Amino acid sequence: MVATFTRPGWYRAALCTVLAAAFGVGIVVVLRAISGLPAFQSEQTGYPQVVVPLITAPLGFLLGIGCFDYWLRWGFGLPTIPDDHSSHGAYSWKDYFKVNTDHKVIGVQYVVTSFIFFLIGGLMAMLIRAELAQPGTQIVGAATFNSLFSTHAVLMIFVFIIPMFAGMANYVLPLMIGAPDMAFPRLNALSYWMLPLAGILFLASFLAPGGAFDAGWTGYAPLSTGAPLGQSFFNIGVQFAGFSSIFTALNFLVTIITMRAPGMTFWRMPLLVWANLSTSLLVVAATPFISGAQFMVLLDRVLHTNFFQFGAGGDVISYQHIFWFYSHPAVYIMILPGFGIISEVISVHSRKPIFGYRLMALALIGIVVLSYSVWAHHMFVAGMFSWLRVPMMLTTLLIAVPTGIKIFSWLGTLYFGKIHTKSTAMLFALAMIVTFTVGGISGVMLGMVPFDIHVSDTYFIVAHIHFVLFGGSVFTIFAGLYHWFPKMTGRMYDEKLGRVHFWGTLIGTWGTFIPMHWVGMDGMPRRVADYASQFGNWNLLISCFAFMLGAVQLIFVYNMIMSWRFGPKAPANPWGGKSIEWLVSSPPPVFNFDEIPRVVGGPYEYGIPGARHAIMPGEGAEVPATRQTMVGS
Amino acid sequence: MESASVPLPHGAGGHATGHDHHGPPEANVSSRIDRQTLGILLFIVSEVMLFGSFFASYFFLRVVVNPETWPPHPFELPVAVAGMNTAILVSSSFTIHYALEAIRKGNKAGMKLGLMLTWILGLTFLFVQINEYVHIGFSARTEAFGTIFFSLTGLHGAHVFIGLCLLTAATIRAFRGHFDKEPEKHLGVEVPGIYWHFVDIMWIVVFFTVYIL
Repeated sequence: MVATFTRPGWYRAALCTVLAAAFGVGIVVVLRAISGLPAFQSEQTGYPQVVVPLITAPLGFLLGIGCFDYWLRWGFGLPTIPDDHSSHGAYSWKDYFKVNTDHKVIGVQYVVTSFIFFLIGGLMAMLIRAELAQPGTQIVGAATFNSLFSTHAVLMIFVFIIPMFAGMANYVLPLMIGAPDMAFPRLNALSYWMLPLAGILFLASFLAPGGAFDAGWTGYAPLSTGAPLGQSFFNIGVQFAGFSSIFTALNFLVTIITMRAPGMTFWRMPLLVWANLSTSLLVVAATPFISGAQFMVLLDRVLHTNFFQFGAGGDVISYQHIFWFYSHPAVYIMILPGFGIISEVISVHSRKPIFGYRLMALALIGIVVLSYSVWAHHMFVAGMFSWLRVPMMLTTLLIAVPTGIKIFSWLGTLYFGKIHTKSTAMLFALAMIVTFTVGGISGVMLGMVPFDIHVSDTYFIVAHIHFVLFGGSVFTIFAGLYHWFPKMTGRMYDEKLGRVHFWGTLIGTWGTFIPMHWVGMDGMPRRVADYASQFGNWNLLISCFAFMLGAVQLIFVYNMIMSWRFGPKAPANPWGGKSIEWLVSSPPPVFNFDEIPRVVGGPYEYGIPGARHAIMPGEGAEVPATRQTMVGS
Repeated sequence: MESASVPLPHGAGGHATGHDHHGPPEANVSSRIDRQTLGILLFIVSEVMLFGSFFASYFFLRVVVNPETWPPHPFELPVAVAGMNTAILVSSSFTIHYALEAIRKGNKAGMKLGLMLTWILGLTFLFVQINEYVHIGFSARTEAFGTIFFSLTGLHGAHVFIGLCLLTAATIRAFRGHFDKEPEKHLGVEVPGIYWHFVDIMWIVVFFTVYIL
């Protein structure tokens, strides 16, 4: 009986969560007593006795489930439980509900968890579109509508797109660079376990008095500092999501820098690795800013400090500056890993080396550097310093250059390639190039100060963000999931269902988001539950396409679940890829390799006879062909 | 070993040679810097940016809002006390450096002494800081100045606390003799040491910005 609660696991997690919550309440009561306040707040403004447990209870859960066990024993100088690698690999579905240090298990945990949040966020989008199908109020009231679009955005950004990329990279990146695992496997497990906690905090805010947070995913002060309790759930959830992605990024950086296989120089790394290297640089250096911004809002809300209180010498606009200093780099955090995925998929399925490989890598670094200098283009109408507008416009236009390099390099890769569309992954990759370019161009339009002032806070913004995040990021996520599904599960998916899903998604995306540009330019405001009746027809059309888009995702879910269970066994290398993850079995062995492979060439030498990227141990070490042998295709 | 008895489900692929495999292969070392040191350095980058967000707020409140005087009229900061406290924290950087140098030479007693001294100095700093908070005469709710004063120094205080936790672990392990067998493997002292230097340098920046500038 006692052992049930002392062993790391769900029972101990439940116990620790309760104890930690009680501890949080206790702290509040004691601190209030010390400072001479009534132990329980009577006026109910900041809800400290709810907010503090919201921080301590998730930490208690992490302690209970076993994320800190090893470190605590180590720190107190106790004998650490010897790592017998029994926590490697997953042998039944139950192993996915334990703290596991295997990067492949963590990758699957990440992907599945964030996909569940995608479905929940998608359901919210369906509710939003149902409400907007007709002018007037049909399904939800204005207050619920505000909560819905805020939660939709937060779920999609913080617990779907960002961790989904982290999850896919978690799975394939160590394989790609020939590493047996990530650099810090226990930190990796901790990063994962913070993710569901963040998502649950966001969702739990619906239970708070006053409803879920409704200040948008941006949570601008002073709207957020005066909002009901739900806003605090957002402030704290973002901290957990933020720490999770900082630790993952740190892990990726250390893994990439210190654990590459012999022979894998930086210029022999696949572009997915380059993409995650640059994304991680962004995450490590930018994410603390949203942490800081949300801490400030939380302090203003609970302790009644004056960061953003105008009357007491605070500065309201400073919130937006600090917030966007993270959140503009964040949009690149949400697309750069996708760029990496597209590069992999395109080169494999067009059987050609990446056009301008080094420039592709440098363009990623260029985006990283430039992305820190464009944040205020979100604030052209915010009343900030007017002298900052034109410099921000120029840097914004400048960042289109490295992005354009990537687009043209993909086109150059496709040019005269043997394009195979036998895989749904390639269809999504091709569609992404087109769709993302449209979104990118509307981004350049929005970078122009006069045009931005015209369409600020209209549906044009909604159209732009969904073209880049759905048509860009989500398409790359689907491309990546289809591409590595055989590797992750050892099964092939149903290509026919994949095609239905692809065409449904493509038509649904364009049908939903293209008309939004038009109603936006005509002045339909975003984030409002009701609108002028002149936009009624367009909105009905948008809603119909949106429902279709939502429905075809169920095909994807069905396809993935059924194929994982019953699909035909996948060969080790179904697409004929050259990078190392395709040279191991599907799914890979528990420890990835018996011995670390040796890298002898670039990762994309398609069409070059005899060219090798890596030699697995035990293979005959034949002399690899050099690039001079023959020009490809 | 237990793991050897666990049936490998997909064992066909990499196990053609048939020998028992007890763990993952040793990773190739592709950089001269070791993982732990690089990890803590990257974490410090992150921490610097967290301080950066609060410094950004500080300069918005001071430069953009631009009150007539800074600190605003009734506020006064105990610069002398904080200056003394600065001296305490800076000297702790030297003691942790002494501890590291000692273990590098294999001098275990010197390491223990250095760690203890650092720990005591760090704790003294925290106590002086709390004492300053109690007697300073305003709170975080008093104007934006009170807010940013308490949040910058408080954020730093929280980092001193984290640093002290790391040092505690290092000290416990040192006294339990974890570095006795192989003194050349002393990352458990080096990594907290790097973090402690960061805490120290960050305090100098906070001190000059908040108290002197």
